Amino acid sequence: MMDSLAAVLYLILFPGFVFLLVFGLFCEWVDRKVYARLQNRVGPPLFQPFADLIKLLGKEDIIPKNVDSILFQYTPLIAFAAVMTPIIFIPIWSATALFPLQGDLIIALYLLSIPALALFVIGWSSVSLYPLLGGFRAATMLFGYEVPFILACLSCGIIAGSWRISDITAYLEMYPASMLIVIPGFVIALLALEAKLERTPFDIPQAETEIVGGVLTEYSGKKLAVMRLMDDIRMVVGSSLIAAVFLGGFIVSYGSISWAGTDLTNVINFLLYIAKSLMIVFLLAVIRTLFARIRIDQMLDFSWKYLAMGGIFQLFIAVMYIGILHG
Amino acid sequence: MDLLKWARMKSPWICHFNTGGCNACDIEVVAVLTPRFDVERFGVLLKGSPRHADVLVVTGPVTQQSEARLKRVYEQMAEPKFVLAVGVCTCSGGVFHGCYNARGGVDTVIPVDVYIGGCPPRPSEIIDGVVHVLNKIAGGGLAEKSSVNEGQAVQ
Ligand code: SF4
Repeated sequence: MMDSLAAVLYLILFPGFVFLLVFGLFCEWVDRKVYARLQNRVGPPLFQPFADLIKLLGKEDIIPKNVDSILFQYTPLIAFAAVMTPIIFIPIWSATALFPLQGDLIIALYLLSIPALALFVIGWSSVSLYPLLGGFRAATMLFGYEVPFILACLSCGIIAGSWRISDITAYLEMYPASMLIVIPGFVIALLALEAKLERTPFDIPQAETEIVGGVLTEYSGKKLAVMRLMDDIRMVVGSSLIAAVFLGGFIVSYGSISWAGTDLTNVINFLLYIAKSLMIVFLLAVIRTLFARIRIDQMLDFSWKYLAMGGIFQLFIAVMYIGILHG
Repeated sequence: MDLLKWARMKSPWICHFNTGGCNACDIEVVAVLTPRFDVERFGVLLKGSPRHADVLVVTGPVTQQSEARLKRVYEQMAEPKFVLAVGVCTCSGGVFHGCYNARGGVDTVIPVDVYIGGCPPRPSEIIDGVVHVLNKIAGGGLAEKSSVNEGQAVQ
């Protein structure tokens, strides 16, 4: 009884819904602020994402007459639930996640690609030209970035000999030198994540200058708020996943750290987690600032010619490493 | 709902629509969004879709071509919505007043909240206009919109 109560609390408060909400909004602010500072602007104040969210929640919620209203209304919720779930597999305050499963890396990767499918469904159900085009583009891009992303994460799984994210983190922590081997994979995963999040240079599904607001053109009010929040949480979960898989390493094996009689190991681990994810959010923002949007065919070319090839190369290195290590 | 009012004041998203102006006003509106003036400080974002926007920034006199579109764009926006008329042609027809193809100003077609004069107005004046819109939100001024001048609109 107490266990299930604690589990519900974990899911709702920390690291579940409330934590993701706050951290997601904070990361959006970091992203926009870094973007603004790199453009020599002042940028939005800290509360800006929160104000946007409240404002959107309080706006009129229009459901256009011709849309498929069930799909139109409930797909955002499905996408939202799908991006929040992987956090229970990702280690946050100790080397073990909340509910680790065998093979949860695969589950997390699949859950993170559900939003792209949801965007396609939204584009389809909006019965409007621009969302439809955006949906097609989102679905087409899925074929580009998904393979490199999975290949890159796969190599870490091979090095650690497990499909469990917690195991990978623990392995990288035990053998920090193996982090050097997955540096190419880290770069590939970072670029693929940028595409997954549909941010410049891969913001093709939302290209404002071409297709108005992209997939979300017909959304307003609450549903738009949910989709924006979904984007933020996807960014947080995606960067946490990359942090756990490529930059793993809590300080557990160096013994526990305590100060004035209280055990601070978990606190420091948590701060490490925050620092790592923020670093990835920062890198994502830098990539967003540096490049301009590319076309969809260039994006597919790029991801198959370079990212996927790099992923296979990384896989090869990982297999060689395992072969040399274990004879 | 003070929190809601605060949030509305802090995040006015704009949507920009040219109803047939000479383009100088549009350039000034775009200048507002550049790093020099950086209105993202106040939470202003330019949105492509009128469904996402709170403030419709209109430039230019309403030509016969754009009248139906302007109405449609306005109706596509979600409540609460505000309209900012930028430039004299938008306010009254300006140099196009009396033209065979132009209505006299945007308020003949849709209700307007704030008028900004100038041909074209400077970016700082446009920012001032946005601040006036925000004050209107703070005052809860949804009711005090200028009403559409029916007589002129029907003609
Ligand atoms: S107000 Fe002047 S600058 Fe602006 S659109 Fe009209 S004529 Fe052009």
